[in-house]
Amino acid sequence: MSEGRAGNAAISEKIYYDDEIVKKFIYATIFWGAAAFIVGLLAALQLAYWPANLELPWLTFGRIRPLHTNAAIFAFGGNIIFAGIYHSTQRLLKTRNFSDFLSNFHFWGWQLIIVGALITLPLGYSHGKEYAELEWPLDIAIAVVWVVFAVNYFGTIAIRRVRHLYVAIWFYIATIVTVTLLHVVNSIEIPVAMLKSYPVYAGVQDALVQWWYGHNAVAFFLTTPFLGLMYYYVPKAANRPIYSYRLSIVHFWSLVFIYIWAGPHHLLNSALPDWAQTLGMIFSLMLWAPSWGGMINGLLTLRGAWTKLRTDPIIKFLAVAITFYGMSTFEGPLLSIKSVNSLAHYTDWIIGHVHGGTLGWNGFLTFGIIYYLVPRLWNTNMYSQRLMNWHFWIGLLGILLYYISMWASGITQGLMWRAIGENGQLVYPDFVETVMRIVPLYYVRFAGGVLFLAGFLLLIYNVWITIARAPRGEKAMAVEVPARSRDVTDIGTGHRKLEALSVIFTVLLFLAVLAGSIIEIVPTLAIYKYLPQTAKTEPYTPLELTGRDIYIKEGCYVCHSQMIRKLPYDVLRYGANSTLEESMYDRPFQWGSKRTGPDLARVGGKYPDMWHLRHMIDPRVITPKSIMPAYPWLAAEKIDYNILRKKLSVMKMLGVPYNDEDVSNADINAEKQAAVIYEGLLTQDPSLESVKDTEVIAIIAYMQSLGKKTSQQGVATSNK
Amino acid sequence: MPDKEKLIEDHEYDGIRELDNPLPGWWLMTFYITVIFAVIYFGYYQLFGGPTLDEELSAEMSSIKAEQEKTEEAGELKTQEDYLALVSNPDAIAKGKAEFMTKCMPCHGDKGQGIIGPNLTDDYWIQGDGSIPAILKVMNEGVPDKGMPPWKGVIPADLEEDVAAYVYSIHGTNPPGAKAPQGQMIERR
Ligand code: HEC
Ligand code: HEC
Repeated sequence: MSEGRAGNAAISEKIYYDDEIVKKFIYATIFWGAAAFIVGLLAALQLAYWPANLELPWLTFGRIRPLHTNAAIFAFGGNIIFAGIYHSTQRLLKTRNFSDFLSNFHFWGWQLIIVGALITLPLGYSHGKEYAELEWPLDIAIAVVWVVFAVNYFGTIAIRRVRHLYVAIWFYIATIVTVTLLHVVNSIEIPVAMLKSYPVYAGVQDALVQWWYGHNAVAFFLTTPFLGLMYYYVPKAANRPIYSYRLSIVHFWSLVFIYIWAGPHHLLNSALPDWAQTLGMIFSLMLWAPSWGGMINGLLTLRGAWTKLRTDPIIKFLAVAITFYGMSTFEGPLLSIKSVNSLAHYTDWIIGHVHGGTLGWNGFLTFGIIYYLVPRLWNTNMYSQRLMNWHFWIGLLGILLYYISMWASGITQGLMWRAIGENGQLVYPDFVETVMRIVPLYYVRFAGGVLFLAGFLLLIYNVWITIARAPRGEKAMAVEVPARSRDVTDIGTGHRKLEALSVIFTVLLFLAVLAGSIIEIVPTLAIYKYLPQTAKTEPYTPLELTGRDIYIKEGCYVCHSQMIRKLPYDVLRYGANSTLEESMYDRPFQWGSKRTGPDLARVGGKYPDMWHLRHMIDPRVITPKSIMPAYPWLAAEKIDYNILRKKLSVMKMLGVPYNDEDVSNADINAEKQAAVIYEGLLTQDPSLESVKDTEVIAIIAYMQSLGKKTSQQGVATSNK
Repeated sequence: MPDKEKLIEDHEYDGIRELDNPLPGWWLMTFYITVIFAVIYFGYYQLFGGPTLDEELSAEMSSIKAEQEKTEEAGELKTQEDYLALVSNPDAIAKGKAEFMTKCMPCHGDKGQGIIGPNLTDDYWIQGDGSIPAILKVMNEGVPDKGMPPWKGVIPADLEEDVAAYVYSIHGTNPPGAKAPQGQMIERR
């Protein structure tokens, strides 16, 4: 492309935007959206009705849930972000994308990664860290594709014809820069096999890094890019000016600076040092106003277009999306208050909170954008306004059912967990009693999901017919844009000037997100050096480690926590509060985020081996009302002893105190320990010969080790 | 849009204009209040000696323990004779059985015949003498090393005697598939 000669030569020129790439990403959004919703529906059904696990390893809840979250966030969310970014940026900067090759590399690379996830997650290749489950080859692929995206994007900025960057672009830049940082730092891991690795961080460090990542995946994957999209598509669709430029500036910078600190609110009342918890809480509270700044700017931009709210389904979707954004970002800070969190954490309230954001804010904004883009890209009108309206109402009803049932479920279960009678004992000591109470609500949630998906099917049909009926064979239209000109000397002052200096803008942004990251994470990296040396923590035996990896593979962590919080009802139910020492060799940490089943931090020694064996093969034999999936295949799959030397040597390299002998005898030691457990089972039931050397033996070893590895107990003990 | 709102000149991006509205006052106020709260909260808990989570937990646990002890003291020690009325009370036995079916059945079997845990219907006892106080004691304290969990606090206090009475009542029922005897032979008085 020719550089516009300084000022006086060409005043305008004709270019073509690359809309093909936008179309591709739209197709991908719709395709993966359907997949993500269907998988979500299956997961919802499995909790209501356990036989829906179908006793197929690759379809059990523990493997399906990560597939659902990854598909919803990165496949559905990711593709619409890319569609919107490529579409709006070209127009905001009056230039074609920097490189069609890079755009296409980005598109196909991303889809391949999704396919990789679709295959590996159900097979159980998982990192065991939420929303970062993909194993190391895919982690590398994500980094490569993301960097390609970044190069393409900053290239586009470099060749722009509009000097000042519009607020949507600030948010896109924030997304690209921060996601790179989050992904790279959280994914530092050492491979032990083609699809198996251990993170370099352990225990509390891993917890902090993971939730710094996890929380900011919400922030910089589901919030900032969508705010950017909002800033383009809302004023476009409503044909109104942005309510307040000053508000844009203030809420943008406060949002990106504050968000990055809030991660520890996922670890409140845990063993994480108090100061980090306090930071997580107060920054979450301070995040309320910056978030609402975005909502205010969005809703007040729609002001004056209120009449369209009745007539134009696109405006309806956008307005409701922004409203849900406002609700979620109010609820978030609320849930970050330690006392509120003590009730809500580990319950379905959090699941409701997430879906208010994802279904309401991300989902409805996406639908509005699709309905806005499809007729424009294909040069036609949407086939049916009525179907769009139906989609809106069915979808909204679906979200409300989801949200309300999960609130009710979370608060009910949270209150039951914490109820202590006058005699100082738990009122509902039996965990499964608290599960039975909420199962009906799981059906309501499922119904909500069905409605949401039904609405989406209307979108698919509507879009399909629209495209099928669109005029064919028309060439893309050229647009007239001002020639590039470098001699704009008056680029303004203050923030206005910064908007014209893309490099400095990006650097400042990077510093803004780096500050909180460093202050929170770096001190914990050395934390284990400062722990009192009074207690010695034993590393896992090779067999226990094998069991632990199976635990991660099966996704037990999506239902079970391993963190007894510093709360009296946690201590009464599960035993002394968990300490930092107990997880100091845990790679990855498994503190968990939801208790669909009871905490397992001290399950070691609680039951005999035979109990676990029978419970794993069929939980209903032990707990008739259990909703835990059955794992009969664990008693059939053989343990892979051969990989253990490699696993231990990686662990040793990472600083776990194994000696050379431990490493070189890892397989033998594991076999010996397995034989002891097996013999014990056999004496009780001679028909159990087939469980010899099977994975369930390793799981039993791991279960029995939980809470038994260190003498360092929490400050409080239960009455036991 | 109301008249007093002003479009900013030069701010035009693909047809999108921007207004020069000030930050809403109530919004700014919210922001300030959260910041001030944050500073005070951090100061109190992290700098000026507010209680740590450990301290709060210890305090709460000791008041709970006090309550537990109070209720334990209140219940005076009972003897086998005091309990016998329960064994002939069908209501108590029914309640005890229901609880047994959810809590004890996985290990002792639906008829007390024994699976992982020992047969509870025979004359052989590993722990105690098979009297109701003895059953209560094993039940509450468990034998953790041998795989019998402690049930204190897990089984509601008003049900534990019913469960023990139920276990006592199934003695001699000779259920099918009973586990081989374990422990000492102790004949019932
Ligand atoms: C769908 C959620 C779910 C998944 C996935 C799940 N569990 Fe559970 N788990 C439960 C529920 C609910 C209970 C309580 C009822 C019961 O005892 O079965 C439970 C109970 C347990 C218990 C008994 C805890 C106690 O203190 O009584 C153990 C041990 C256990 N699960 C281990 C596992 C392991 C190992 C895995 C992975 C292979 C796993 N669970 C996967 C839901 C789940
Ligand atoms: C996790 C399995 C398990 C569960 C559940 C369980 N028990 Fe046990 N129980 C055992 C084992 C194992 C023993 C044997 C302990 C020993 O060897 O000393 C035992 C022993 C006993 C004994 C003493 C028997 C004897 O021969 O001395 C009594 C009484 C008893 N259990 C009652 C109960 C009651 C009542 C419940 C339900 C509230 C219950 N158990 C639940 C595993 C269990």
